[in-house]
Amino acid sequence: MFGRISYSASVLFLIFLLVPYTRHSMAIDDERSPGTEMQLLLDTQRACRSVLEATRPYIVRIDTVGGAQPTTQINTKGKEKEGEDPKPNPFRESTGSKFIVADGSTTGTIYSSDGYIVTSSFNFVREPVLISVTLADGRHVAADLIARDQVRKIALLKIEEDNLPTPPWKEREDVRTGEWAIAMGLGLGGRQPAVTVGIVSALQRMQGNAIQTDAKLSPVNYGGPLCDIEGKIIGLCVPMAQKPGELAGVEFYDSGIGFVVPKDRIDSIVETLKTGRSFHRGWLGMSTPRNRPDGVFVANMADPSPMREAGAQIGDRIAEIDGRKIKNFGHIIKATYMIAAGEDVEILLERGDEEITIQVTLARNIDLGPLPELSDSVDDAGTPNREGVE
Amino acid sequence: MILHRQPRVALGARNFFLLLSLVIASFAVRAAAGGFDQAIDRLQPRVVKLYGLGAGVQAGYGSGVVVSEDGLILTVSSLLIDAKVISVVTPEGVHYTAEIVRRDEKLQLALLRMTKQKSDQNETWPADSPSFDPVAGLFPFFDLACESVASSAQSSSLQPGDWIIAAGNAFKVADGPEPVSIAHGVFSARTRLDARRRVNDFPYTGEVLIIDGITSNPGAPGSAVVNIKGEFVGMIGRLVISNQTHTHLNYAIPRSVLCNFFLQAQGEDGTNDSTRSRESHEDRIDLGIKISKTGYRTVLPYVERVKRKSLADLAGVRKDDLILSINGRNVPDVAAYKAGLNRLDPGEPIEIVIRRGRVIKTIFIETKGP
Repeated sequence: MFGRISYSASVLFLIFLLVPYTRHSMAIDDERSPGTEMQLLLDTQRACRSVLEATRPYIVRIDTVGGAQPTTQINTKGKEKEGEDPKPNPFRESTGSKFIVADGSTTGTIYSSDGYIVTSSFNFVREPVLISVTLADGRHVAADLIARDQVRKIALLKIEEDNLPTPPWKEREDVRTGEWAIAMGLGLGGRQPAVTVGIVSALQRMQGNAIQTDAKLSPVNYGGPLCDIEGKIIGLCVPMAQKPGELAGVEFYDSGIGFVVPKDRIDSIVETLKTGRSFHRGWLGMSTPRNRPDGVFVANMADPSPMREAGAQIGDRIAEIDGRKIKNFGHIIKATYMIAAGEDVEILLERGDEEITIQVTLARNIDLGPLPELSDSVDDAGTPNREGVE
Repeated sequence: MILHRQPRVALGARNFFLLLSLVIASFAVRAAAGGFDQAIDRLQPRVVKLYGLGAGVQAGYGSGVVVSEDGLILTVSSLLIDAKVISVVTPEGVHYTAEIVRRDEKLQLALLRMTKQKSDQNETWPADSPSFDPVAGLFPFFDLACESVASSAQSSSLQPGDWIIAAGNAFKVADGPEPVSIAHGVFSARTRLDARRRVNDFPYTGEVLIIDGITSNPGAPGSAVVNIKGEFVGMIGRLVISNQTHTHLNYAIPRSVLCNFFLQAQGEDGTNDSTRSRESHEDRIDLGIKISKTGYRTVLPYVERVKRKSLADLAGVRKDDLILSINGRNVPDVAAYKAGLNRLDPGEPIEIVIRRGRVIKTIFIETKGP
């Protein structure tokens, strides 16, 4: 210990002796090359420029024609006046935000050389009639919307082109919190992408579907890439929030809370999307009574519905979904909003003293049947919460 | 135990002094080298706080950039400068009043001149020899140096990804002699502005510098923006919402545009409005395209008829073509198509992207000057 200290002391002493010389030489150097702090800033700047240059060939501009703002069907439950027609249907999914979607350009990222382009489903919420894509070299080509993933907010486009350049992606396990993150997008039109710079803020978000960044994400770069400092794509920029809805998360634009979908998630859905099958939000298809402080119970199940098919019974208490404790109705939404129809959840039910685990394959809202009339209603404690059932 | 510890403590102390001297030495080097501070040292003394008329959500405070040693201030044209008395607070905390030298509603810019020092001792300056402050001396200012080609290229040498620093009176948090607030960010992109303020389209449609940083705040319009070297590259413009994305835009008016305005303002005095008559302009450019008027809710700009031997006909526009964009701007409906034509300058070459079936074509049209 002693020896080490005296050694380090002598090293420090040597440095101390050198300092006047270093200072002198640095002062002279100042005129030619900037100091260390400035050098760091200039290096970052240079790195940013080169990432932009390297990534430009993979970014495409998407222009759409037609379509309109999606109708927001806010849950009007409880606001209905007596005697009024209860339509619009209060159980239809809301768009999740009142953000007004513009019809300007948006961004896409080339996925494969044979003409597949991954982008954000946000760019098509207006349900446009026609889609065109402008490649980095300026060519305009017509594009088809193949399918969408409304849960992960991804869309797949196809253009009739071969030999497109394909970008390098960063494997998810190589992404580190705190590393530089550079987002690019063509949402302001033109040929030159708008760049925003930040860092990776978190690796596991939205139940593993997203990586978080503090780079400013907005309609300017939704569908564009978020790159690391070497130009590898960390993920695809999308709007996301801890709630369902096509526009959920757009209200966070430019806030420093942004999400990207990493490579593994995109790879896992692209093959399905290629077949033209879209991912929709998944539903359990049941109602639960309100005002029961002792837990969430199955009050009724649509027929058919995933819950009914998985063997749940009226009166069962929902204890856990995928290991998450369920204490109120909101917990059910939180546990399932990132699960697409066709994907499974594991539900722990309590039936009397018995604990039963069931595997439930979630279904689309429109595939759920009606709620059967119950002779002996369980939910006598007021209007039930309904999850996906009309 | 204690005996053993003694030398270690002594050595620790020596170490400490060694370290201390090192730290001091490195600080000296640091101060000489600098990061953002160099740019900020140059930036902060050249930005003033403005106070004037406010109403509703329109802030009665703002920022301005000093552009001459005798106290000319560049800022945005807003309700603020409609005040009976425009107050200017310099970085030293000295209060002045200012008058409007020129304002331009198309560019949404204004040039002010500091006239007299506001003081309780009634110590006013004659209006004809304004602005020399016996205490602070001449004002530090950003030399727009508009004549030199090098300077006008300065904002264009800025590349996406480059650091930028803005200084201004955002949210008027800087009190009295406190220096204005600094925000750093990255230069995001160069684009043409297509924006609105509430229901009205924003009149300025020229080039802007998009900033990766939040500058779209009350009081920030009129802030100076510099690059990492402290060179003036632009000024934060009025708060607007992009028509392309429906988001608040963080942007700056580039130095070249400010220069043109500044030169004009010095050429002729008085309030001026350079807004061109758009109606007569529309008449000048006749492409010979008749647009279909049928549609539900959104009327898509389909070509209904092309006048024979017209500019559009010669260039190859055909009946039933769908017009997608004019000079890089989307035209999602007929209104946007008409606005796109209006925006064209006489003699400006036109690039129209059309969709014919599944084929997307770019068509170039040459127009004659006025």
